[in-house]
Amino acid sequence: MRRITRKQLIGLVILAVLAAAAIITRLLIYRGSDDSLIWSWPESGIAELRRTSIAVAAIAGVSLAVSGVLLQALLRNPLASPFILGISSGAALGVMTAVYVGHLMGRSAAGGGAHPLPALAGALTALCIVYLLGQRRGWLDPLSLVLVGVVVSAICGALIMFLQHLAPHGLRSDLVTWMMGYIHPDVPAALLIATGATALLGLAAGMALGRAMDAGTLEDDEARSIGLAIGPLRLVMFLLAGVLTSAAVALAGPIGFVGLIAPHAARLLLGPRHAVLVAGAALVGVVLLVGGDATCQVINVSGGRMPVGVFTALVGGPAFIWLLRSGRGRA
Amino acid sequence: MNVRLEHLGHRYGAVEALRDVTAEARAGNITAIVGPNASGKSTLIRGIIGAIRPQWGAAFIDNLPVASMSARQLARRAAYVPQRSVVAAAFTVREVVELGRYALPRDVARIEEALARLELTDLAARPYPALSVGQQQRVTMARALAQLPERGLLVLDEPTAAMDLRHAERCMKLLREIADAGGAVVVAMHDLSMAALWADEAWLLDDGRLAASGPAEEVLAPDRLEAVFGVGFERVGDSEGRFRLLASSPRA
Repeated sequence: MRRITRKQLIGLVILAVLAAAAIITRLLIYRGSDDSLIWSWPESGIAELRRTSIAVAAIAGVSLAVSGVLLQALLRNPLASPFILGISSGAALGVMTAVYVGHLMGRSAAGGGAHPLPALAGALTALCIVYLLGQRRGWLDPLSLVLVGVVVSAICGALIMFLQHLAPHGLRSDLVTWMMGYIHPDVPAALLIATGATALLGLAAGMALGRAMDAGTLEDDEARSIGLAIGPLRLVMFLLAGVLTSAAVALAGPIGFVGLIAPHAARLLLGPRHAVLVAGAALVGVVLLVGGDATCQVINVSGGRMPVGVFTALVGGPAFIWLLRSGRGRA
Repeated sequence: MNVRLEHLGHRYGAVEALRDVTAEARAGNITAIVGPNASGKSTLIRGIIGAIRPQWGAAFIDNLPVASMSARQLARRAAYVPQRSVVAAAFTVREVVELGRYALPRDVARIEEALARLELTDLAARPYPALSVGQQQRVTMARALAQLPERGLLVLDEPTAAMDLRHAERCMKLLREIADAGGAVVVAMHDLSMAALWADEAWLLDDGRLAASGPAEEVLAPDRLEAVFGVGFERVGDSEGRFRLLASSPRA
């Protein structure tokens, strides 16, 4: 199970070409001042903004996709996604709290922009709670993780609603915009570098864990009997998936379905071996989010472009149902 | 490789699954673990492979305490075949068998040999989930064979439960070959007749206790089995000196 097959190599090349095409398309496409769609090489200032957008989308796409593979393996559930652990709800609560506290202290809302630090703080807090409560006999237990994740999501959801109830209308719209998931063209360079490094390290670590994740597809007793230390592996996978998801949420908000669909799309093309799957899913993540962001430039709706989170949900939802009904939603 | 159990005991919550089990399985032998449902067979197996930390006593493989071994150290001494193997990925048969070499250097010849011994070579490229339960059980056996070190310990939990008669017979012959080559085989079995036919030694469990252990011919005595199972047994010998057990109606 160590060599890459010819079929897998061709699949990876296809995905790399699609990712490159998505990046080039996003770089070239924009709307003019009269709202017409223009295809051309952008001027330097515009190009800078567009490169940032591409970087944000690529980093979020890779992070969510790799996190999706890790969580589907960790929870032994092909329908698991990065937000199953309550991370997005925790991040949303962090943002809502920051916005509301800012309002109480007389600061104006950020106007629908990114809230990386509150999002990160909320996501990591949720992750810690799920980690502490998701253990059984001293090790992380997949079923406990899912149940605790659902409960943490529900509690965060209730607290968000309570804060929304207390907050004036303008503040609510700020949070709603953030919740849609948005590719921002003006993200601070430090955040971009930190999340980019996290995504690359996560990708490399995910690929390195590939053989262990293959072995982890066996039941616990059997996996241990072939030499896999399943407890430590689960801990590493959980932390890696949690940090990657937190980074993606801090960067672009809670963008749904990428972490669910990217692993499945890669699996259809490359098969179930995890080392190759992680690399393939990362490329699919880039295609989905950079391509999705480019598509959102084309879809002009009143009040601005369609948020990419709405686009991925509209594409991902039917794809998810197709996976379920066709029986392809298997690992 | 010898297995020694010293006063092994384990409890799941309020249920005492194993009580003070002391026994030994020697290299070169097939040791059958028999007993009614919930008598502690699977817990005993899990104690031997280090899947549980027994609350009392200890299991030893070649005088080394199992509890002190890492998963990797254990995998280099023993292989395990569960009652039913679930693989949460659509691997091919060959890929599942290759998992047996996870903690060991890659050895293509061993993998091909394991596939051939379980008559799986023609199915090697088939997806594992598409196989019947009996075929999957043979794949699990092949995975364990690809892992099993020379003169190592093979621990099996009801390996033939889902197999047809021909493959069950083939499986037991394989266990005989492994034992004859100096390996130790410990196998939990429901089929007492098959245990009587193939086992050298037997451990009879009753409600978590070891009711008897020793040569299979002595342990699998009809009166002893009747006391544990509540069913009458008859013993039938064959021309090769082996014997079978036939269940009859409970004696009044």
